[in-house]
Amino acid sequence: MGVLSTLLRGLVRGADRMAEFTSKRGSRTHNKGRGARPTGLRLSSRKFLSIRTMIPEFVVPSLEGFKLKPYVSYRSPRGVEPPLTAESVFAEVVAPQIKKDFEEGTFSKEKLERYGFNPKQEGKLFKLYPKNYVR
Amino acid sequence: MRLTALLSMAAKVVVPKDYRFGTNRPWTAAAKRLNTAGKKRRKVFVEPIAAEDWSVLKGDMVEILSGKDKGKQGRVNQVFRHRNWVMLQGLNTHFRYIGKTGETRGSYVASEAPLLLKDIALVDPSDRKPTEVEWKFTEEGERVRVSLRTGRIIPKPVVERRDGIVPEQWKDGPKDTSPEDTLEKTYAPSLKTLEEEVMEKMGIVENRRHKGSYWY
Repeated sequence: MGVLSTLLRGLVRGADRMAEFTSKRGSRTHNKGRGARPTGLRLSSRKFLSIRTMIPEFVVPSLEGFKLKPYVSYRSPRGVEPPLTAESVFAEVVAPQIKKDFEEGTFSKEKLERYGFNPKQEGKLFKLYPKNYVR
Repeated sequence: MRLTALLSMAAKVVVPKDYRFGTNRPWTAAAKRLNTAGKKRRKVFVEPIAAEDWSVLKGDMVEILSGKDKGKQGRVNQVFRHRNWVMLQGLNTHFRYIGKTGETRGSYVASEAPLLLKDIALVDPSDRKPTEVEWKFTEEGERVRVSLRTGRIIPKPVVERRDGIVPEQWKDGPKDTSPEDTLEKTYAPSLKTLEEEVMEKMGIVENRRHKGSYWY
């Protein structure tokens, strides 16, 4: 028992009712999960059908020739690159294309899909908004 | 509610308005023994010094101008802004027993006493004599401490890390990325997300799309 709880035991008695009731508390028949997502379906025959697509799979490209390691050396100085924002990505990727098209005369406000403008995010597997992937 | 609320309260130090600050941190048992709740102690008057005018920093070399160790120079270990105190390393000491239990007296150690700011003067690094110091701006616009007698700039003391690591002398381990690799700019901005780029590189084709979920 810590000093704090020992001191207060004289003033206050009883359990901490506001603490989270996890699977570590309660009897051994009390089966409670910790929020793991299901990986299949529970059939009517009380069996479990595991669905491969519901089990997460890590897709990792080959790391051959990859120079970055888990930790960074203490000797490295602070970087001077500005933080990445949506405006900077736009300015580097989309703005030159729009500028080129405008100078050629082929720019039109209705055809913004050519530069990646997709307000409904249709046809995309990884939608930006609402975000449908876990990062 | 009681225990969790109290644990969160202990994280932030809340002291009463006329709390008498000592050398012990307010949450320690020794400080609580000296400042029990409801106990009114005689008020100490502290000369108000603005935050911008504070010249003594932790790690500085200072000289004592009055007291038992008058004329000695030492390094500042701790600074107490509430009471304009400064603790030097190994100076202005008195002796006491520590770790007294039962019959044993414990060990006899030298413990430092705090010194007021007016008994302290910063040491000029060029001639190693005490000087008055003022905050001035350099031509670059940097705010530095300048000694009034000689005009030399007193640099800020090097802050040592608590874990004792000196970044210049660090030897990279097998899991450390070297500074050159860390600062290398390899990012090519594109509108693709990381997942889309990896899929493209590995040649994974996914034509199935989510069927859309509905809430009623």
